[in-house]
Parts: sequence; C-alpha cells; structure tokens
Amino acid sequence: MLSAELSTTLQDIAQTLGLESEQGKALSQFLDKGFPTSKWEEWKYTSLKDFNGIDRNWFPKGNSNSPISADWAELIIRSSNAYLSIDKTSSNDGIEVLNFNEFIQKCPDFLEIWTSKKPILDQNSLFDLNVALSPQHPVIWIKKDVEISQAILHQYQVNSIEKASSVQSRLLIYVEEGAKATLIEQQTSTGTADILSNFVQEIFVSKGAQFTYLKDQDFQQGVSHIDHTFIYQAEGSQVDTFTFSLNASLIRNNLHFYIEGPQVVSNLNGLYVPGENQLMDSHTVVDHRMPHAESNELYKGVLMGNATGVFNGKIFVRQDAQKTNAFQSCRNVLASTRATMNTKPQLEIWADDVKCSHGTTTGQLNEEALFYMRSRGISLPAARTLLLLAFVQEVINKVEHPVLRESLTEKIVAKIQQSVDLSN
Amino acid sequence: MLSIKNLHASIGEKEILRGIDLEVKAGEVHAIMGPNGSGKSTLASVLAGREDYEVTQGTVQFLGKDLLDLAPEARAAEGIFLAFQYPVEIPGVSTTNFLKSAVNEIRKYRGEEPMDAVQFLKMFKEKMAYVNIDQSLLSRALNEGFSGGEKKRNEIFQMAVLDPKLAILDETDSGLDIDALRIVAEGVNKLKSPNNATILVTHYQRLLDYIVPDYVHVLYKGRIVKSGTKELALELEERGYDWIKSEVDQ
Repeated sequence: MLSAELSTTLQDIAQTLGLESEQGKALSQFLDKGFPTSKWEEWKYTSLKDFNGIDRNWFPKGNSNSPISADWAELIIRSSNAYLSIDKTSSNDGIEVLNFNEFIQKCPDFLEIWTSKKPILDQNSLFDLNVALSPQHPVIWIKKDVEISQAILHQYQVNSIEKASSVQSRLLIYVEEGAKATLIEQQTSTGTADILSNFVQEIFVSKGAQFTYLKDQDFQQGVSHIDHTFIYQAEGSQVDTFTFSLNASLIRNNLHFYIEGPQVVSNLNGLYVPGENQLMDSHTVVDHRMPHAESNELYKGVLMGNATGVFNGKIFVRQDAQKTNAFQSCRNVLASTRATMNTKPQLEIWADDVKCSHGTTTGQLNEEALFYMRSRGISLPAARTLLLLAFVQEVINKVEHPVLRESLTEKIVAKIQQSVDLSN
Repeated sequence: MLSIKNLHASIGEKEILRGIDLEVKAGEVHAIMGPNGSGKSTLASVLAGREDYEVTQGTVQFLGKDLLDLAPEARAAEGIFLAFQYPVEIPGVSTTNFLKSAVNEIRKYRGEEPMDAVQFLKMFKEKMAYVNIDQSLLSRALNEGFSGGEKKRNEIFQMAVLDPKLAILDETDSGLDIDALRIVAEGVNKLKSPNNATILVTHYQRLLDYIVPDYVHVLYKGRIVKSGTKELALELEERGYDWIKSEVDQ
C-alpha cells in the first residue's frame, strides 16, 4: 500500500485532473492498489514495494537535448520525459506522427477498433498510473500499403537531475493493411537521480501488414523501467520483436501478443544481460485466439554478478485456435555463483489440434568445454567470454539491421568482458 | 624434454596413478599401452592439467619447468598439446575463431605480437594440407555435429596450427575407420621433427603400424610395468595383456 504521504499527494493530483475524468478515474484505481509487491503473483520476484513510499516529481519537464541524427533512419522521433519531438521528418507522406485526438479526427474508424481491444491486465496497477499521468498520447500512423524500407528511430529518453521522478509515456502505433515498417527504439537515460520510467505501447498491425520492433534498453543505474507492449495482430500479419535489455537497476517488460486473425506469424526474441545490482524481468503473453497461426519465442539471458533474472512466458491457445504452432524457448547462463534466475513457462491449451513446445534451461558454462579451450592456450577469462558470446550471438544474429547488430554486439561484448574480468 | 618421477594421482579417494616414471627426449615417439582402466587416459589428463585429478606425489619437469605448477593454458603456451579422446563440442564458436584466440593468447603469453587476419589465412591454408581437412569444416561450430573422423582430424589440424613441442594423443585411433586412421597418422608423421616429441596413448597396436614408436610402455594398475621397443607392441597384439597382468600380479 502507498504511504499516507504519497497517497495524499496523488489524491491532490486526482482532484486536479478531475475525479470523473478518464485520468482521474485511472489514478483512483491506482491509489486503491498501489505499486505491486512480491505478494502479487505476477510480481513475485520483482517487488516494487519500496516505490510505495517514494515521493517523486510526477510531471518532470522534457529535456531540450540537441537533435540526434542517424543517416540510416527514415524518421527520427525523440521523447524526453514523455514529451515528443521530431528530429528528422520523413519525406514519405505514408507515415504521420501526430497526437491521439488529431489522429482520431483524421482516422475516425480507428476509435472503434481501439475501444474494442483492451489488453488483458492482470495485476497491473502501473497501467492505470500511466493512463492517469502521461502528458501526451502520440501516434505513429503507417498508412495502407506503405512500405518503409529504412527504419524509424525512436529515441526514448528519461532525464532526472535532482529529485526522484516518474515518467509516464505512451505511444500508439497503427500499421494499416499491407504496410511494412521497422521501428528501432533506443531507450536511454540521463541524470543521476532515481527514475521510474513507465511506458505503455499499443500496436495495431492490420491485415497482411509486417512490423518489426527492436528495443535497445540501456539505462543508467538508478532507472527502473516498466515496459508494457500490447500487440494486436490481424489476419496474415507478421510481427517480429527484439528486446535487448542491457542496463538499468530494474527492467520489467510485459510483452503481450494478441493473435486475432488466421495465418498470423509472431516472433518474439529477447536477450537480457543483467549485472551487479540489476534485475531484469520478462513477462510475455502470446494469446492465440484464431487458427492457423504461428508463434516463435526465443529468450536468452546471461546473468552476471549478483543479478536476478525473471522469465514468465504465457501461451494461451483458445478453443478456436486450431492448427496453431507455438514454440517457446528460454535459456540462461549463470555466469556468476551469486546470480539468480527464476523461470516459469505457462501454457494453457484449449484447442486439440495444435503443436506446442516449450523449454527452459538455466545452467553454468560447460566445465569440459572450458578445459578443452584452456588446453589449447585460451585463458579462463577469454574462454568464458568466448562461450558467453557464442551463447548470445544466436539472438543478436537475428537482427537484420547491420548498424544495430554491430552496436548491440559491441555493447554486449563490453559488458560481458568487464564482468568476466572482474570475477577473475 | 619431459621427466616424470614417481607420479601419483587420484580422483576423489581413488588412486589411479601409483608411481609413474618416464623420460621423453626431443625427437622421440613413445607409445603408452595397457588394458582398460590401467590409467592411460589419466596420465594424459594429468599432464594437460585437468583439475579433476589431484597429484598426491611426484614431480613432472617439462623443459626445465615444474609442469604441475602451471595452469592448463600455461602448459599449452609452454608447448604441450593434448589431442582429446572425446573432443568437446563448442557451440557457436568456429574452429577458425577458436584457433585465432588460442594462437594469439599463446603469443601474448610468449610476449609476441598478435597475428593478423592475413597471416592467419596463410597459415591455416598451409596447415590444412597436413590433414586434408576441408575449409567448410573449419567455419562450422567446433566439433558440433562432426563425425568421429572429422573430430579427430580437427584435433590434428589444431595440433598442426599450435605446433607443440610435446603432443599427447589420447586414444586418437578410437572410433576411426582405416582410411581416417591413415590420414590422421600421416598428419602426425608430417608434424614430427627432431625438436618435438610425441606420446601416443593407445589400446591397440593398430595405430603403431602407421606411427612407429621408438619406445613402448605398458601401463597396468597405475604403473609402467614393462618397457620395450615396437616389438613389444607386436607381442601384445599377438598375446594380449593377460601374460603381463599375471606376471605383475604374482
């Protein structure tokens, strides 16, 4: 439960927002529940109990950092503490970045789609907090049959200087029928204070559309990032997600796929490399609601120092979802004797003509392999690094974008190398 | 080159080597034979530095250094090479990347400059000829899905690249058909020089038709119970190990 002091502060904010407004209502709901603690089943290993007593700057201002550039990007958008700006506009009139109200005016049919699809929210008070306090509601709109060959870059920044702060960001992405796009999101931070970064994304991928979404999560220590990504897929669409969790005090990724048409393909790739005093938690849901769809999930983790990792992978195959192929694999290496990994695959299958498989493993580096390498002259730290890199490469190699693949490799190599050197 | 004196080694409570004495000089080929469970592979592992074994007594000098004092990677850098009976699969690491790391780590140990990509390419090409190994095998993940013959051939290729002073071949003939055996043996013979030495650990005489040893030692119950020349191997082939066992056991 929230502390009395924090509760009073947030009640005042709710008054200001208007108790009957959507935002005021959402905040009241949050106030009833507070931040999740380890008593909540879905937050068993990722308690935010301490947050219940931390007063924050609930509306931190955006930062006017100089614009970023990337010649490989078609469009560059930057959000700083949830305030969006455009650093590079696209010449393609098939993409628009606008706010929600503007978008609904231009595309009124979407409102019905949007209101009919609410995510299944299980023990998720942070979603309410986000709805209540996010200052903007931007939309990336990719129009019918538009193919964007270069990636869209989203620079997601949270900045805090003195006081602990809370950033509530939202983003809606609408990929229309037959369109094709890639979004690359670099999540970063500046400042030294404690930041709660709470980000909600709703992504609608229409019939026959293709969407690739890559997140590079690389925050400073002190940042707790909670990411909610809800993806709704229509008939014949394909979505590939890549979630690379590199640094932050705490990262919790809730990634939900709702398969709402036949012939859908969903590929979920994840790699987390938490080190000293870091916790990284992946909660994924793949909800097969329609037949003849396929989902492939590959998550890998290297846990260093006293890191904690959590993986919870839910797959639902509803009664209508016959001929579903659903695969899930989560493999982890404990690169330190002080690290912990908690895994829980959870399959619920109501249809009878399906192919589903899942497997989770958590282990240490193979001693035989290490001796073999040492017997050829490779030092123990180098042997460990080589094996760990080979382990993570399977996920990195799936990234098609050459610039991203290289920069991710470099950062991950550096992090693993540093940890291996420290432990020897 | 190598001087083993009164070497005792155990795994857990069980003593496997019970006083080994062996002298190996540059240019020599020694074969270590013996029945199953006599301690042949243990001797090879102890020399390479496998940590599962505890040396309880004795000394091993290699080129004037106390070998038992060195980590496995330092032994490799000093010039010891163990060809494994069961080469380990290294998922995700190609033979070429693996060997580049190994060569450059050894060069670092010796205070030499690292080799660059062009030099590697040239050297690999040259050494591939020794064992008639295919380029495609070298770019695959090391030993992963290799046949028995490919694994052993790859071991000899690694040996050619690392150019050791003392090569220890642990049951390199096991699991090989006659053609593969011949190729592996030819590789070993080509690598032989007056400056290096080879220890062949083998159960059967078969390998010795192709790699002719200067000395043959029979290991039984953790000791060398008989030493001789290649004729001893032929006698073992004909008569088996029982006559030696009964001689020793009496």
